[in-house]
Amino acid sequence: MVANDLRQRIRDKSVVIFSLLVPLALMAVLNLSFGGFDSGSATLKPAVVIASSEDSGQLGDALLEAVESLPIMDVTVRKVAAGDVSRETKATGADLGIILPAEFTAAVTSGQALSVQVVEGDSAGLETDVLISVVDGLLEQFSAGTVTAEAGNIAGLPHDVLGGLAQQAAAGTPALTLSEGQASAGQLSLKGTLVAGQAGLFLLFTVGFGVLGLLAEREEGTLSRLQAAPVTPGTIISAKALVGFILGVVATTVLLTAGSVLFGVSFGSPAVVALLVLAVAAAATSLTFIVARLVRSAEQANIAQSIVAMLLGIAGGAFFPIEASGFLATLMDLNPIAAFIRGLGITAGGGGIADVATPLAIMLGFAAVSTLASRLLPDRGVRA
Amino acid sequence: MTADVQTHRAQVLGVKGLVKHYGAHTVVDDVSFHIGAGETYGLLGPNGAGKTTIISMVSGLIPADAGSIELAGSAMTPASTRVKGHIGLVPQELAIYPDLTAKENLLFFGRLQGLHGKELKHRTGDVLELIGLADRAGEQTKKFSGGMKRRLNIGIGLLHRPTLLILDEPTVGVDPQSRNSILESVEGLATEGMAVLYTTHYMEEAERLCDRIAIIDEGRIQAEGTRGELVELTGGVDRIDLHGSGNTGAAATALRRLPGVQHVDGDASGLTLTVHNGPGLLAPIVAEAGGAGMALSSVEIVRPDLESVFLHLTGKALRD
Ligand SMILES: Nc1ncnc2c1ncn2[C@@H]1O[C@H](COP(=O)(O)OP(=O)(O)O)[C@@H](O)[C@H]1O
Ligand SMILES: [Mg+2]
Repeated sequence: MVANDLRQRIRDKSVVIFSLLVPLALMAVLNLSFGGFDSGSATLKPAVVIASSEDSGQLGDALLEAVESLPIMDVTVRKVAAGDVSRETKATGADLGIILPAEFTAAVTSGQALSVQVVEGDSAGLETDVLISVVDGLLEQFSAGTVTAEAGNIAGLPHDVLGGLAQQAAAGTPALTLSEGQASAGQLSLKGTLVAGQAGLFLLFTVGFGVLGLLAEREEGTLSRLQAAPVTPGTIISAKALVGFILGVVATTVLLTAGSVLFGVSFGSPAVVALLVLAVAAAATSLTFIVARLVRSAEQANIAQSIVAMLLGIAGGAFFPIEASGFLATLMDLNPIAAFIRGLGITAGGGGIADVATPLAIMLGFAAVSTLASRLLPDRGVRA
Repeated sequence: MTADVQTHRAQVLGVKGLVKHYGAHTVVDDVSFHIGAGETYGLLGPNGAGKTTIISMVSGLIPADAGSIELAGSAMTPASTRVKGHIGLVPQELAIYPDLTAKENLLFFGRLQGLHGKELKHRTGDVLELIGLADRAGEQTKKFSGGMKRRLNIGIGLLHRPTLLILDEPTVGVDPQSRNSILESVEGLATEGMAVLYTTHYMEEAERLCDRIAIIDEGRIQAEGTRGELVELTGGVDRIDLHGSGNTGAAATALRRLPGVQHVDGDASGLTLTVHNGPGLLAPIVAEAGGAGMALSSVEIVRPDLESVFLHLTGKALRD
């Protein structure tokens, strides 16, 4: 029964279209709008920054180094005396001047207010805007006291930084990580999040071709033949669930692979990623049991499945990182799509099986709970 | 075939006191019948009579609210997985996969019925021959004509040589040629010894195919027997069909008052009457109908048939 279903789904091409082509196209579009400022991209010209560094501590240099090693553009930092920054910037046609006060490190570490002066170059263009956004973001990071942990965490950047150009600038900046050696707590770049998020989002559609296909069978009339055949209802449902699961695993694997090849994202150990994919597919498949119980027709099922997919997908960060606090944050942590993306962030940072134990547990727990819940729900849809 | 012969046949299906309610509506009301091996049994009744509902209970698709079903010696309920293997169901609506070829459809449902290996291959080949689709076996069924789909729909039900083949209005919406070939295949099955439960609202089909017929209306079996036995129920009344236009409603009212006329039913295009002594009443009937404002185009006296029986029993015409 499983083989038969798979053959049909492949033949009617809807799976190929909805589970592979659409998400790949979306990835490409989103990648263009978020990730256009790629390294080597012709859009951003090499930039020169004139900076004073009279800081007595380490952070001033760290900030300048981070600016200089931005992967999204080629930046040269030239150090001059504080009094000369403004004049030098104008005179040389540099893109930006930065004046770091002498007490920069002290102010940051003690949590005092501090001001960093920036001077726009005469020829100020896109590059200047991007640089200002980056410095602004870095300062926010610093003053939030996050300097020693996960500075590359895009989701950790304050929301105002995530607007417009700043977001674009941040897109390719995993190198903002100032502290090294904490790899397995690593996070995905915006591109990685995008690929993982779209894969997770469309997984929720793909698994719908399994159990929810029963509703379509009822409308096509073939369900009555299945029910009149000498097989138990449990066998039928399990076969359908397995179809959804297999399609989900295959589609997600293809999307992650294609995404990482096309957009240059690496997710780390294939074996651990495979575990994450199996777990998230199980979680997604279990959701279709619930949907199948709540709806009466294939059309309703598609609508319900879309709503579930968009809710979990968006909350999980399929389109852009989402932050929440308190109860909502806990709730969002339990979202299997969010757990999947988090898991991929950990593997991308070099994490192993032990490191992804929590996201794995969340996804499998979700699968168990929703399978159980579907048993308890009153049946409006397919008799099982 | 006579009733005497049937009593010697092994019983394949026994239905007793079957009841189904939907809300306050009793859709199947105390239905009992039995079918012997090699017998073709017809459920004849208009749309909404409850035929499909009876069949759904017999096939174990839906539970009965009361009554019992015994198939090949075992009780049949929706949970009777093993017993279901005795049934070949041909649903009223097409039940085939459009994206699969004819052969793949047969192979899939054959496996579902527990066939495999050589047997599955042979049966698939045989059935493709029987339904005349051997040369189109490799085509996706969505490219098939309505008649071809219908034939495949039936073929799937035959595949595993079921003890009881259930056909639910298999000729509805089929062109006359396909219809004839379907009827011929069903006739062939009975000679192979398969028991067939056949539902229809076409009395010609019931007359042609069925050894015994239950006339069903509003969820109840109104009468049951061979064609001859059923026709005797009318007490030898003749049927008169009046075709024409004009004021058929007024004509119906006038004709009902005429002595010797039993039932009158019909619509704007004609009336159907059951009468004692048809030939003798023909002249007054024509006169009354004309006098009431009906313009007759043709008049026909028909020897008693199942149509007459249905009209006699229910006061309604069977034709749609
Ligand atoms: N699932 C259902 N819910 C409510 N009413 C139903 C259902 N199925 C059938 N009916 C009603 O039961 C009656 C008999 O239907 P059915 O068995 O399909 O008749 P037939 O097959 O003789 O045309 C009809 O009035 C129909 O509307
Ligand atoms: Mg019906």
